[in-house]
Amino acid sequence: MDTRIAGPLLELNKAVPSFEESGLPPVPFSMKLMPGDCMVVEARSTSRATMFADLCCGLVPLDDGAVRFMGLDWADLHDRELNALRGRIGRMTRRASWPEFLNTHLAITLQQLHHTSRPLDDIVAEAARLGELFGLPGLPVLRPSMLSDVDLLRAGCVRAFLGRPRLLLLEDPLEGSPVDLQNPFLSAITDARDRGAGVIWLVRNNAIWQGYRQGITSIWRLADDGLVEIRTA
Amino acid sequence: MSGSSEPRNPGEERDPILEADAASHSQNRPKLTLRDWAREKLAWLGRLTRRQIRFFLIMLGASWGVIFESFRAHSWRRTVRFEFASTMRSVIGGGLIATLFAGTLTGVAAVSQTIYWLGLAGMAKMTGTILIDVVIREIAPILVGILLLGRNGMLSVTELGLLTTGGEIRSMQAQGLDPFLLLVMPRTLAFTVGGFTLGILFSFAALVTGYVISRISGVVTNPVWTFLYDVITAMSRADYLVIPLKFVTVGFVVGLGGCLTGLTATNEDNLRTLLPRGFSRGMLIVMAVSVLFSLDL
Repeated sequence: MDTRIAGPLLELNKAVPSFEESGLPPVPFSMKLMPGDCMVVEARSTSRATMFADLCCGLVPLDDGAVRFMGLDWADLHDRELNALRGRIGRMTRRASWPEFLNTHLAITLQQLHHTSRPLDDIVAEAARLGELFGLPGLPVLRPSMLSDVDLLRAGCVRAFLGRPRLLLLEDPLEGSPVDLQNPFLSAITDARDRGAGVIWLVRNNAIWQGYRQGITSIWRLADDGLVEIRTA
Repeated sequence: MSGSSEPRNPGEERDPILEADAASHSQNRPKLTLRDWAREKLAWLGRLTRRQIRFFLIMLGASWGVIFESFRAHSWRRTVRFEFASTMRSVIGGGLIATLFAGTLTGVAAVSQTIYWLGLAGMAKMTGTILIDVVIREIAPILVGILLLGRNGMLSVTELGLLTTGGEIRSMQAQGLDPFLLLVMPRTLAFTVGGFTLGILFSFAALVTGYVISRISGVVTNPVWTFLYDVITAMSRADYLVIPLKFVTVGFVVGLGGCLTGLTATNEDNLRTLLPRGFSRGMLIVMAVSVLFSLDL
């Protein structure tokens, strides 16, 4: 599987999502995300935002058009390649994502343990460092149901940023979050972008991203008429 | 009937507007040829057949998938190995006491009675053959299958069903974690190993308990080694293949059936629909395997 290093990191080329599978409007979606870009997408509906993130991950079947990540069309890839490529995406989602049969530390590190051969100690050390950055006392080892919502949010941040992902799909982690999470979160986004990662930040509320206004490269709105660009930096 | 300009009485059965619309539609409708009619009927038959045997076909495909993937070194990543080990601990470690207890009860109820009545009838030489054919080959796989189903199979149904309906499975896919590779394959193989291990332990517990009871009651006077030797020599060559194969297959299908029932849950499913479905499918699978191996072997 040869991924492209130059060019857009993520490209939606007149991609028409299947309405039956996703509930997204069946209109062409077009946009490009370059490495280091940070794109804000305003979406009033959280379920629609999740589906848009799924579309970027190649999880939503298309009626027409293409979605390319790192130069590869999701539709052209086999299962193993699809999964390997998705292993390079860090994601925070509003959908339930903490399986109860795994303790939180395993759920956080699962993606790295599965997709890489990095030594366990390295992964744990990085996860613990990120945990401290996001305000956790360390790496939580309890079952996810034993953690508070805020701690799960922090753990979700750790999971998304762990392993230097190439693309970050972040479904509004700052909404309803404690104030002390904002600075580490923005700092982690900046670090990831400096390393060449692209960021798609899905928000419901305009006020959320104002603190990072200077860093935003483009603002889009996800509505009934599809994905509409509002402003480009 | 009232004219078109007059208001229609409420409750009147015939609506002139709808009637006129229906008449124009019936005039415009293309005539159904014999070929179209046959295709419609065939499609209906195909849909019905597919719906009825859908789970069976999924099981067949997934069985091949599990066997195929298990021989690929690349499939055995550390997360898969972890899931395999933890499921095996749960199946064997968790089911050990229950299996030994069930084996002991079978020894008391079936083995000792068989020894007693065969001795009374003067057919003590057939004890080994009867015990092998009835207890080890027929009863043990079914009881071990039911224990596996009840203890761990239903757990898989519930766990994976809730993960599927809750959206966690979709979230795992978004991280590039294939649920088949990460959950179905290791769990099915752990059940397979567990089925064999627990089956052998069950058989051993049943035979030894039956011997002890018979010895205490004075029905047999031979040492235990002689009794076990009699049982082993009563086994045919086919038994050495069929008995382990039956334990292995029961474990395999109970594990796979539980995982697939959970993963094929839809948004309309909940515990009230999942658990009875998982149990009835599991029981059918166990019985089907038992009957299949007893057919001509």
